[in-house]
Amino acid sequence: MGCLDYRTNRRAVLQASLASILGFSMRDLIAFGGTDHVPTAEHVIFFWNGGGMSHIDTWDPKPGRPTGGEFDPIDTSVEGVKISQIFPEIAKVMHHCALVRSIAGVNGDHGRGTYQLQTSYQASANLIHPGFGSVVTHEKKQVGDLPSYVTISGRAPKASYLGQKCEAYFIGAPGEKDPYLSFPEGIASARGNQRLEVLEKFNGRFAEKSSNKELKSTQTSIDEALTLMRSPALAAFELDKVPTSQLNRYGDTPFGRGCLTAKQLVETGVRFVQVNRGGFDTHMNNFPAMEAHGEIMDPAIASLIADLAESGMLKKTLIVMLSEFGRTPKINKDAGRDHWANVFTCFMAGGGIKGGTVIGSSDEDGYEPKDNPVKVSNLHATFCHALGIDPDKKVMTPLQRPFKLVEDGTPIKELFA
Amino acid sequence: MKRWPFIVVATCLSLGVLGLSVSDAKPPVAQKKVEKAPVDPKAEAAFREAAKKLASGTDLDKVLALENKERGVKLDPMPVIDDLTFLRRIFCDLVSRIPSTDEIAAFEADKNPAKRADLVDRLIADERFIDRWTVFYSDMFRLRAQADGGRAAIAWMHEAITDAMPHDEICRRLITTNGKAGAAPEVAFVLGDNADPMILAGVTSQVFMGVRIQCAQCHDHPFDVWTQENFYGFAAYFGKTQRIENQFTRTIYAKENEASTVLWPPEGKAKPSERKPAKPTFPFDMTSADEKPEYLVRLTTLRAKQKAEKDALLAKANSKDADVDALLTGAEENEAKAKGKKQDDDVTRGAKTDAKNLNIKAGLYTTSDWRNELANLVTSPRNRWFAKNMVNRVWADLVGRGIVDPIDDFSDNNPASHPKMLDYLADEFVANGYDLRSLVRLIVNSQVYQRGHIYGAEEQQVTEMEKSFLATPMRRMLSETLYDSIITAGHIFDVKHTPGKNMKTTWKLSQVAKPNSGRQGLALTAMKFQQKLEMNAAMAAKDDDEEAAPGVDLEKGIEIDFGKVLAKAKADGQKVEVEEMRVMSKEEIEAERMRAQMQTQRRGVDYIDRYVKATFDDNPKFGSSLRMSSPAAPEHFLRVFGQTDREVLGETRDHAPNMRQALMMLNGSLTHEAARVGEFEPMYALLVEQKNLDGAVKLAYREILTREPSADEIKEAKSIIATHKDVLDGMADFRWILLNCNEFRFLP
Repeated sequence: MGCLDYRTNRRAVLQASLASILGFSMRDLIAFGGTDHVPTAEHVIFFWNGGGMSHIDTWDPKPGRPTGGEFDPIDTSVEGVKISQIFPEIAKVMHHCALVRSIAGVNGDHGRGTYQLQTSYQASANLIHPGFGSVVTHEKKQVGDLPSYVTISGRAPKASYLGQKCEAYFIGAPGEKDPYLSFPEGIASARGNQRLEVLEKFNGRFAEKSSNKELKSTQTSIDEALTLMRSPALAAFELDKVPTSQLNRYGDTPFGRGCLTAKQLVETGVRFVQVNRGGFDTHMNNFPAMEAHGEIMDPAIASLIADLAESGMLKKTLIVMLSEFGRTPKINKDAGRDHWANVFTCFMAGGGIKGGTVIGSSDEDGYEPKDNPVKVSNLHATFCHALGIDPDKKVMTPLQRPFKLVEDGTPIKELFA
Repeated sequence: MKRWPFIVVATCLSLGVLGLSVSDAKPPVAQKKVEKAPVDPKAEAAFREAAKKLASGTDLDKVLALENKERGVKLDPMPVIDDLTFLRRIFCDLVSRIPSTDEIAAFEADKNPAKRADLVDRLIADERFIDRWTVFYSDMFRLRAQADGGRAAIAWMHEAITDAMPHDEICRRLITTNGKAGAAPEVAFVLGDNADPMILAGVTSQVFMGVRIQCAQCHDHPFDVWTQENFYGFAAYFGKTQRIENQFTRTIYAKENEASTVLWPPEGKAKPSERKPAKPTFPFDMTSADEKPEYLVRLTTLRAKQKAEKDALLAKANSKDADVDALLTGAEENEAKAKGKKQDDDVTRGAKTDAKNLNIKAGLYTTSDWRNELANLVTSPRNRWFAKNMVNRVWADLVGRGIVDPIDDFSDNNPASHPKMLDYLADEFVANGYDLRSLVRLIVNSQVYQRGHIYGAEEQQVTEMEKSFLATPMRRMLSETLYDSIITAGHIFDVKHTPGKNMKTTWKLSQVAKPNSGRQGLALTAMKFQQKLEMNAAMAAKDDDEEAAPGVDLEKGIEIDFGKVLAKAKADGQKVEVEEMRVMSKEEIEAERMRAQMQTQRRGVDYIDRYVKATFDDNPKFGSSLRMSSPAAPEHFLRVFGQTDREVLGETRDHAPNMRQALMMLNGSLTHEAARVGEFEPMYALLVEQKNLDGAVKLAYREILTREPSADEIKEAKSIIATHKDVLDGMADFRWILLNCNEFRFLP
């Protein structure tokens, strides 16, 4: 793995090899060294809601206030915790979930907000910081043949100085086969395999002549490609064996299919799945738009949480839903809400968090954090905590500048049992 | 419209003067002058004289040989490559594709001893040379088609190279231009970084002079001479520049403010009241004004001559009282005809014409005195950093390793491996009027460019040989070169199968509007958005009045004239996209699908996915990647093979292999289609009509690898082909292997 650049002394390696007999991998142990607890999560499903999702109309309702809007709050499976009526099914699984209602954001601009919420760092002109998915890929070892980091229906942030191996594998349309994972049409597998053998011979002969490293790693890249192409784990990308009733439970939408794919992927060992969705920039007609979003999101997310809980995967799968910012409590003349970063909500579930927890709150109209304001980097440190990743671990950029995995964050320990 | 001819003449004159004058800017008084070891002109002259007496090679080779001797290098250089190896290398480097079999045959038949230099001249005059070096410049200046006015900027870059605009003039315009995105194409440089003075300071220093000064933004540079005050003084040149975005008309432009936003001392280091506008100060050392180096004398002579020629041309035009606009257009068409270029194929033409018209009007925006001064200093022939930066970048691109390496880190801690050769190249570049073509010619005609790779040696020796430029490093083709070379090798710039012979039926996922989606709110959103668009259009139409006096309301005045052209530019843009779609394979269609999905989300209209049956003739042809909108989508072939997104300063093309590349080459349609044998190819006749398998194998080697196979290789190829019942399938597989092998993608 190109991502590995730990400086481990011999003694630590010896201890590690002993530990690996006891069932810990060496990587776990090293990661363990920087934290003071056993990791609770092994995988992450990260929902990215592009455009800035209204906090008041989703997780932080303000009934009876002028800013409250058109939706009523509803009771959830957790006593005293109410969410918006647009999520009736999620309300039923709320005992698996947690809310951080007091994110104190600082960027009301899509680009800068997205950057910070996805990387924990403020955007800078000279350097790109890696996204959180790349951090996880860098720190947690790959399980099985599938890539560790997959992004569905949208782009993930770059891996930057964590290296190409920590870039996300992109799926455009969930459930559809990636055409590049099989031989071109008309090339039967016997024929395809035969010419691959010859190709290896040709490349081997050419590489013998030169000490160029890239020549040798071309073959490695081909081998990696073949491992993936031939892996039975590829079935996790496909939905054709999913019964219609199950598809319908998730809502037969691209987002529902994305959630089902994410579920299959983490079950197969993928470390980090980002599911992207846009359309939250509701400057006009916020309410019908949010109602429509609810119809799409509610069945998919609720079914995902229920299914993972039932199979036992939820315990080790951290689900996070974020947006670059919230939206103005004040409803504008177009019945819309504008950008609002001062306070908004992070939704979480599984991964060892204490179900039903609510951290912090916003003021009565949803303008500012009322108590326990949470920096964006503290959220990232919290995710790291769940995964047993040391957020303060430093990595070097190509220009030899050290950077922490998370920009000065402290985990919110109250979220964990 | 009657005012136009006058304006055009006036502008041509002023541009002519700008383009040809020597801006012999005086060195500024720096706050902290960075002292460099002064070059002793006498010693340098003596060195050059001594070099000339050496036995072989061009003047450049001699300079290198003597400098290597002085450096104590004892190794012998690798021999110069043979004709076919040279042919492949020079085609890839100058026109971004491998040679065709016809071009190979012509070069082999040419008995002229100077045929390499002749070929270099022909390739430099080729249309594709312009396209290929537009890619080089677009990478360097981080021009992005998707950015505001980015498409026009790339079109302008293309035109500047076509017109052989000198490098100093190109850079001067990028630094100084204010105006509207797209309308004044060069403004993309300033707008691309949001006209942020701090960012532009770092960019200007790194891109034009190869110096990483931006660390000094927050603190004195840790390993270099630059202080924070140097940085602020440099950033101050951009202090008055502002990016404006009109929310209603959605126009974006750069203009100058009265006050500067760059204040010294930095925020937090002094009370707000104590922070004063920083004085623009150029921190880079320059050749003293007392000296009159030889290259400067040559440049002055050259430019005087060029100016006289241009003046004579203009005088001639004026004497006939001709409409200069018409004259220019006519001249362009004639020129195009002479070059045999098909005008309608030129996707950038519309944008170029617009750019030309609008460029003139851009002058209505206040010009920046500070940035004019900065441009004078940056592009001054006395600024050695400027010329050295460019020659080093071009050198690194062609030879595979910078004289200063990495190319954007000129620093005392990263000295040039061959400072005298770097000086020589910089001198020649300046003396030849900052002409890209002359620089390229100088490099590729030398032995140092034409040396072979070193094989079978220890890594340390390889490094030493390559560092001393005695052997050329292995280089992978640029992603664009790889793409176009596959097309060339596979004869798929045009169809190669009999039409209708490969009809296929597929099921294709397509988006259909959902009937009665019943989401009033969303529909309303879409409607309002539409209304707003129409309102804007109506406003523009109403204001689009020939008699409206420009200059009364500067912004509005400009908006009138620009509105019409922008609409046209948009129409042109859509045409381009449709053309690109046709070119695309699976990879682009996916990107297109995503873009469409995003658009539907924005419009708030519901769409559903439906499988649609489609019958098509599987007989594809592909267009050149050099004309694609760049940078391509993140998953596109070009990006997977190293094209950057041109966002981050200093990000260069990564040529490391990865799994995505492997998947794309093994399973992609490009290699698959190139490998299939079509009836219109010479290969088909050899295999089917003449049944000449030896000849067919030789042809495959020539058209894909630009070389003859050995006897063993012919035998091996025949045994591979023989495992197939159908010889066409066998040849397709064999060609697929050659296209996929490392020998294909690495330059010989």
